Amino acid sequence: MTLPLDAGRTVNVPFRAYRRLALAALRSLTAYPMSFAFSMLASAFSALAMLYLWRAVLSNGRASSGFDWPHMKAYLLVTFVANSLVSAYTDYQMCLRIRQGDIAMDLIRPLDYQRARFAEACGFGLYEAGAGIGAVAVATLIFGGLPAPSLRSFGLFLLSAVFVLPLRFGIVYTSGLVTFWTQNYVGVQAARIALVTFLSGSLVPLAFFPGWLRVIAGAAPFAGMASTPALIFGGQLQGAAALRAVGVQAVWTVALWLLARAFWLRASRQLTVNGG
Amino acid sequence: MRATAPKTHGPDLASLLSYGDIFDRRHCYIAGMALIDVSDLTKIFRRPQKRPGLLGSFRHLIERRFTDHVAVDHLNLSVERGEAVAYVGPNGAGKSTTVKMLTGILVPTSGDIRVAGLTPHRDRVTNARNIGVVFGQRTQLWWDLPVRDSLELLRDMHGIPEARFRRTVERLDAVLKLTEILPSTARRLSLGQRMRADLAAALIHEPAIVYLDEPTIGLDIAVKDQVRAFVKQLIAEGTTVMLTTHDLGDIEDICHRIVILDEGRLLYDGDLQAVKDNYARERTMHFQVATPITDPAALAVRLPGATITRGDSDREIAVTFDRLAIAAGDVLSAVFEHAEVVEVEIDEAAIEHVVRKVYAGELKLAAQRAKEAA
Repeated sequence: MTLPLDAGRTVNVPFRAYRRLALAALRSLTAYPMSFAFSMLASAFSALAMLYLWRAVLSNGRASSGFDWPHMKAYLLVTFVANSLVSAYTDYQMCLRIRQGDIAMDLIRPLDYQRARFAEACGFGLYEAGAGIGAVAVATLIFGGLPAPSLRSFGLFLLSAVFVLPLRFGIVYTSGLVTFWTQNYVGVQAARIALVTFLSGSLVPLAFFPGWLRVIAGAAPFAGMASTPALIFGGQLQGAAALRAVGVQAVWTVALWLLARAFWLRASRQLTVNGG
Repeated sequence: MRATAPKTHGPDLASLLSYGDIFDRRHCYIAGMALIDVSDLTKIFRRPQKRPGLLGSFRHLIERRFTDHVAVDHLNLSVERGEAVAYVGPNGAGKSTTVKMLTGILVPTSGDIRVAGLTPHRDRVTNARNIGVVFGQRTQLWWDLPVRDSLELLRDMHGIPEARFRRTVERLDAVLKLTEILPSTARRLSLGQRMRADLAAALIHEPAIVYLDEPTIGLDIAVKDQVRAFVKQLIAEGTTVMLTTHDLGDIEDICHRIVILDEGRLLYDGDLQAVKDNYARERTMHFQVATPITDPAALAVRLPGATITRGDSDREIAVTFDRLAIAAGDVLSAVFEHAEVVEVEIDEAAIEHVVRKVYAGELKLAAQRAKEAA
């Protein structure tokens, strides 16, 4: 049953393989529905707290930093869905496999490591986005409807939303690779979550930041992970400014992908697989 | 040490054709080169050196100290197409590290590896198509998916056409009895079932080279035998197999060549039978006799070179002899002349004894002696 070495097969891994991998990731989540439900519940509660908090702040009917209550509501709900993407599965699994040496089994597969992890993140993302949108639907029932964006804004919003997952993946994947050096991920993950939550504007909209910090956050990859699509959805970001923000997202998506790749090359030399 | 010079027989037309696609990709495959060629391979791990206790851990944060651990030390090895090589050595000898470098998982510190003309860590993805790997302590199955789905995922990754995939599954099923395990998820399998499924996963793309790293670890005798029979069949079909194991029973009837490694260095590389002939010549026959032997000295004279020892009672004797110098039949007839034999038992020298002696430093193999003399 031995075949000639690598006979008649193309070097490129068929796209189908990555699609199947994404579906496998999605299916593995459905194997533990309770665990997923609890993590959704946890983030839904923190979103709920944010909604109540901002409703109290904006209860006098006046707008603050360009946000009135309906727009703040829309902003918070969009960032909630954005935040649920590439939450913890990708890096959690990656780090566990790096620590336990099971990464060896990932490396004997004829797949590019980064693309394979991205495919899995997309699979998880389908589940996360679905659950997030469901939670938003429930929230709008409780807190009332959202301001409808214009058709043009909505189109731009969809475009902007597409970049959220790859951007977040870039950060999550790169921070996960730090495990090669630290062998422990808890601290790195906490730092990453704090940084992303703060600078992506999902804790406080960037409009509330001091000017200099707002400029930094706007130019960094983080705004594109939550703030940009949320502002476009609410109509606070329009026209040329919105296009420019989506452009920043696109540039960072490519840049983070390449940075992660360079990082992987260093990290893989660091690999030690202990025990069998 | 085994010579790495080209073998007298050049590659035949068929193997040249099969290397065709490697030529196409401009990898420098040289005709006549071994399938696996390792030269001067070294892997050094840097380990943090921490002083004991909490204070020691804190001190490590400020004053970082590391020690270098040489896992593989200037290893030279060459494996021809179709060979079955046993790769043995005590814990920490560097066996697994070698396999991880051969499969492209680990990057060597220095030295050169060629597997079918590829450098594994640089051409990892292409190399992965040529090889099948089983690490006995790990699984490559998707934990939450049925085994069948895992195999189908691998089918897509390797780009195997559906018809050929189905044929291979059928063939693997015949030996590995997959039917009962295909529908269950990997996490529900017993260790023996998991190992069969992992073997199937490693072989689903019909790789030309198979690395088995402790494939029988933790398995019961029955499953062990199944796995051994399966590996034997693989070798008979022409697959190149590199078998790493602690269980010397794995290699004895599977491999013709044995490579012994200790502390990252090659101790011995050669024919398994030659090792046995040279170092495992001792054979012991245990006799139970009806009446005590009256004249053991006379028996000793009859069997020069043999050692005769008395057993627990005076009705038991053991004769230890060089099996190449004295035939078992001669020993039998000699004992028959002196006593009425009730029971006979033969202890065959096993490769296990040799390897154990090598580990313990009691036995220096020829290659080792030559090295020390140099």
